[in-house]
Amino acid sequence: MNVKFFATYRKIVGQGCIDIPAPGTVLDLLAEMERRYPAFRGQLLSADGTDKSPEAIVLVCGRHIEHLDGVRTVLTEQDYVALTPLVAGG
Amino acid sequence: MAVGNAWVGTILRVNLTEGTIAKEPLNMKDANDYVGARGLGTKYYCNEVDPKIDPLSPENKLVFMTGALTGTFAPSAGRYEVVSKSPLTGTIGAANSGGHFGPELKYAGYDGIIFEGKAAAPVYLYINDDVVELRDASHLWGKNVHEATDLLEQEVGKFRIATIAPSGENGVLFAGVMNDKNRAAGRGGMGAVMGSKNLKAVVVRGTGSVKVARPDGFLKETLRTRTMLREHPVCGEGLAAYGTEILVNIINEVGGLPKNNGRDGAVFEGAYEISGEKLAEGALVKNQGCFGCTIACGRVTKIEPDESEFYGFGEGPEYEAGWSFGADCGVDDIAAVLKANWICNEEGMDPITLGATIACAMELFELGAIPESDIGFPLRFGDAAAMVRCVRMTADGEGFGKLLGQGSYRLAEHYGHPELSMSVKKQEMPAYDGRAIQGIALEYATSNRGGCHVRGYMISPEVLGLPVKTDPLVTEGKGALLKTFQDLTALCDSTGICLFTTFALGLPELAGLYREAVGTDETDEDILLKGERIWNLEKRFNMAAGVEKDTLPPRLLREELPSGPAKGKVAELQVMLADYYEARGWTDEGEPTAAKFDELSL
Repeated sequence: MNVKFFATYRKIVGQGCIDIPAPGTVLDLLAEMERRYPAFRGQLLSADGTDKSPEAIVLVCGRHIEHLDGVRTVLTEQDYVALTPLVAGG
Repeated sequence: MAVGNAWVGTILRVNLTEGTIAKEPLNMKDANDYVGARGLGTKYYCNEVDPKIDPLSPENKLVFMTGALTGTFAPSAGRYEVVSKSPLTGTIGAANSGGHFGPELKYAGYDGIIFEGKAAAPVYLYINDDVVELRDASHLWGKNVHEATDLLEQEVGKFRIATIAPSGENGVLFAGVMNDKNRAAGRGGMGAVMGSKNLKAVVVRGTGSVKVARPDGFLKETLRTRTMLREHPVCGEGLAAYGTEILVNIINEVGGLPKNNGRDGAVFEGAYEISGEKLAEGALVKNQGCFGCTIACGRVTKIEPDESEFYGFGEGPEYEAGWSFGADCGVDDIAAVLKANWICNEEGMDPITLGATIACAMELFELGAIPESDIGFPLRFGDAAAMVRCVRMTADGEGFGKLLGQGSYRLAEHYGHPELSMSVKKQEMPAYDGRAIQGIALEYATSNRGGCHVRGYMISPEVLGLPVKTDPLVTEGKGALLKTFQDLTALCDSTGICLFTTFALGLPELAGLYREAVGTDETDEDILLKGERIWNLEKRFNMAAGVEKDTLPPRLLREELPSGPAKGKVAELQVMLADYYEARGWTDEGEPTAAKFDELSL
């Protein structure tokens, strides 16, 4: 599956997207990203590791996980995920 | 001078026909009831002008108004409002700008200026504390914003300057009033109203101060809110690092970035190329802030001659201009987008309306509705050079540029396809597709100044989750939520504080600053009610002006999105409108009742 990174997350990864095997759930994905890229630690997962950090936005196929099954949303190889820190504009 | 309640107590009344200048006391009742800037400027305007007025006639008036908090230590409190009837929309026109002009006006001893009549020849208004006079501006007429500002600085010294460009002199219906060179009271054609009065510029220097009512409490609120802004991920980090362009990728990801005038949906393959990330990797020189701002979202940008034919130097773009000259025109060349935006700054034009008007022209051309001979060259989606050429032609009032200068609705109507104008009440909708983000569709339809994203900013809850996350694809609850956002936005605009602070600050913080500054013990709810009063005042003006009902372009109502997360969606406006009118306490037809006006003491 494809994972995209925006804003400061793009700098951490050093590229705009990567392809990885679907890791199970969104929670698994966030944990995997924190393992692969140490600079993510504390940015993607909540302090106790059971939820998403409130300062991270996670979209699965363009849908905010709040409107799916949260961090328990199951990921498949056909899905694409976008990770971005909380940003705004206008 | 400072009267001790955050106001300085004086309004300047300038009659351009007679060449007279009068100083009159600020109407404190209206200042208390309408907060300042957008609200108070609109109240003054509505008190004095017939809603049926021709906006470009000498009988129209133009109001510059600061907010209660403008020029204080409150965070990002550098805003002022330019108010008149909009020549683009026929609605109330209120355009808000930052920079340093607003605070300087207050330091000179004036809360606002009311311009009446029309000068016989071009003039500018000179304000140096107590010295206020009209001066000849014939040598400035025809100069763009940067040229006029430089000439005026040579003439008067280091003043804060608000000016128009030839676009405003020549009746481009979306000409703005520009201050500090690149800050814009941008939407709705306030620059065209100013130009119609032969008023080229206002220059101001002030050495006074603003005194708040309860200094200790105000300092406490200021420090508290400044800390909140500094520690917030958006206001303390994201906006400073990337500017507003950072939104491009995420809005595209949710399938809400209109492409090719919305004809081809709202997923743009070239989004990254016009994004804040791309800008930060190359063209960004530094970021820049307005008066008293801890956020500093402004972009100073540069393209070298060996990088692109669209080389140059300037400020911006904001997210909206990145979209209008980018995805909306099918252009994925950041240099071309920058060039178009720089021209808009120099030539005082609203880049949202202009980019969307060019996109409309591109669709009309590809449809065969505009012959190439009318334009002078092919105008297809994705053609960056043609897009930039259209911007220049509009600034110069050359050939087809004259038609572009009337906005997309009049252009599309001229060629027999008004339905292809992506506008509401003849003002172009900004950079979010209302089919993918339902609440923004409702916001566009009900905005009191035509298609606009900052008359509520529903993107905050629907996409970003600030302060709470709502689903962009559903309609339930959007009416009541939008009402609250509209009232809060009206309040924020009227305080003189930048709307961008509200990503971190809410009603309790805005109300806290306001209470300590003006010395009131009103509750948060009392203060939010002023926002609702302002919204209803604007609506009452529009009703009396004969503005059309709240609706959207047929494309948003009938053409399903072809791809992306919102595939198959249209804007479900009618159901949301009903909820919204109920939340507002208006009739089913969307009109406030006499009882509602009484309730709001209107």
